Amino acid sequence: MSNIELREISKSYGDVEVMNDINLEIQDGEFIVLVGPSGCGKSTLLRMIAGLEPITAGDLLFDDELVNELAPRDRDIAMVFQSYALYPHMDVARNMGFSLEIRGEKAQIIDQRTQKSADTLGLKGLLDRLPKALSGGQRQRVAMGRAIARDPKAFLFDEPLSNLDAALRVEMRLEIAKLHQRLGATMIYVTHDQVEALTLADRIVVLNEGKIQQIGRPLELYQSPANLFVANFIGSPTMNIFDVKQVGAELQLVNGALIGMSGGGAAVSFGIRPEHIAIVAQDKGHVVGTAEVVERLGSDSNIYTQVEGLGQVLIRHHGNTELNIGDKFGLEFNVSAAHLFDSDGIRLTLDK
Amino acid sequence: MSLTTNKNFAPDQKGQGWKIFKSPKLEPFLYLSPSIILICLVIFVPLVIGISYAFQSISLFRPSDTGWIGFEHFEDIYQDRKFYKSLRNTFWWTFTSVILQFSLGLGLAMLLKAGFKGQKFFQALIFLPWAVPTFLSALTWAWLFNPVIGPLSHWMFALGILDEPYNILADPSIAMYGPIAANVWFGIPFFAITLLAALQSIPDEMYEAAAIDGASKWQVFSKITLPFLAPMIVITVMLRTVWIANFADFIYVMTSGGPANSTQILSTYIFLTAFKKLDFGYASAVSVVLLVLLLIFATLLLKMRQKFVRVN
Ligand SMILES: Nc1ncnc2c1ncn2[C@@H]1O[C@H](COP(=O)(O)OP(=O)(O)O)[C@@H](O)[C@H]1O
Ligand SMILES: [Mg+2]
Repeated sequence: MSNIELREISKSYGDVEVMNDINLEIQDGEFIVLVGPSGCGKSTLLRMIAGLEPITAGDLLFDDELVNELAPRDRDIAMVFQSYALYPHMDVARNMGFSLEIRGEKAQIIDQRTQKSADTLGLKGLLDRLPKALSGGQRQRVAMGRAIARDPKAFLFDEPLSNLDAALRVEMRLEIAKLHQRLGATMIYVTHDQVEALTLADRIVVLNEGKIQQIGRPLELYQSPANLFVANFIGSPTMNIFDVKQVGAELQLVNGALIGMSGGGAAVSFGIRPEHIAIVAQDKGHVVGTAEVVERLGSDSNIYTQVEGLGQVLIRHHGNTELNIGDKFGLEFNVSAAHLFDSDGIRLTLDK
Repeated sequence: MSLTTNKNFAPDQKGQGWKIFKSPKLEPFLYLSPSIILICLVIFVPLVIGISYAFQSISLFRPSDTGWIGFEHFEDIYQDRKFYKSLRNTFWWTFTSVILQFSLGLGLAMLLKAGFKGQKFFQALIFLPWAVPTFLSALTWAWLFNPVIGPLSHWMFALGILDEPYNILADPSIAMYGPIAANVWFGIPFFAITLLAALQSIPDEMYEAAAIDGASKWQVFSKITLPFLAPMIVITVMLRTVWIANFADFIYVMTSGGPANSTQILSTYIFLTAFKKLDFGYASAVSVVLLVLLLIFATLLLKMRQKFVRVN
């Protein structure tokens, strides 16, 4: 168990800088999720923590000890790779016990430990199979088993579920959550899937283009995104963003509608989540729209609405809806849940 | 009486004669027949004729004695001291060459995999031994060992390996090292290139996973790299062993099997028997023995290979 600290870490490949000024302190036992679009540098950051990738500048500390130059084998961390990276020539048991074998543990102890982690992951009966005789889900479990059999200081996961089908992904997500509760170990988990991030994390680190956009608890990111990128990235379906300008004491949308709040002069974008727009009578709401597409998901409905002079607006309606394509109705924004952003995309904190 | 007609077994309208060729067992071989016939003509016919010589007396010095003689040649071989000497030398020559070629080739492959400055140039240079005709290489090596025109014996003297700078090819106790050195130089590229290809097919992730699992360099090599290379190693070692055991060029040019048969291997012995003594019958009989030995060796190695097919 340990806490991990990243101080002003940056990473370049030749002249190309892919990570810049990363500062992050991870507490002992914390579940941290690094999330961001593909190519933003999540894997690179994880691999620097693992020691697989040299750190160009900055300090990496484990328990206040500088480990920049330490080889992976001396960092005592376990990693679950996206493609699992199981050794094809070793059976499941040897795959899981390999790190113990390397350290010259007694055969009896290795056996005991692999048995135990095989039990927790439901791999009993598969122990003498080769990886090629396993399904994707089973391989994923073996990769996890390999990590837990050795009881490391910290666990690193690089998109471990991205090669599984949707149902299995949900199941394994739950198992990882349970695993974290049971072991209480420090875990760093990389994903591009915000649902995984929101459900698993104690804290989420949102990355984009090699920079940290925001660090916070799942609900924090949802309720108060630091900037437009986070606002767009977190939450599904994504937030509606409109250009606004200040007219007197109120903000005005580009189609002329007033939205009944002030931007303090700096606001240029108005963000409202689909679930914060209510459907009202035509003469009641802030704007009037026409339903273009209605997706009925059972628990919710997504209504893609065309608003004149504004473009498409997405509304999420709880439960089922009576609306049909072509219906006209009023849209009322829940202004207290809306967000305003300045010209740099930074969210404005307003005293409401 | 059946009303259904199975197309495959319907009577052929062009006549009964074609029916046999339509049988499902024979048909595929008919399509293959052009290549089968060609292979038979080019490989099996000469092979059978060659083997048949082993049971005949065919010596150009005794043309009147020509004819079938059964196992007489093999009885002679059984008592031929030169044959046993050549057999021992063949083992010595083959295994020393293969082991050195393999280990140096593997080392070179690992160097090339790791990468260094000027690697591209070096990688092209490696093929050079293959571009030189073997007879020319053999002559060059013979000259290199010659103290009058070559530096090698002087260097070995300077290093204290030799008491005085003389030609090792003339010393029966160490002459074999001459052709072996040339052969190693000649054979390293083959192993380097094939093993490099095998090394490059090992996913980087295997090394990363092993690094995370805490493996040292040696453990990575022995527990990851070698198992991955094993199938390739078995097949290349087998090919090379068979090839080297049959490879007479270097020895023939550098020492002609001498001095005092100290570098005589079976293939040079066969060559000299056939083309110097012009006794084709006896040469063929020795060839058959060599063929059988190599077949046994190849079978053993292929059996071993089945244990390694787990990887891939
Ligand atoms: N070996 C490399 N050489 C040069 N650029 C690289 C290398 N590895 C990754 N990159 C670049 O670094 C950036 C981050 O990559 P990565 O960490 O794999 O992204 P993610 O895992 O978030 O999808 C990408 O723009 C990628 O092109
Ligand atoms: Mg990645």
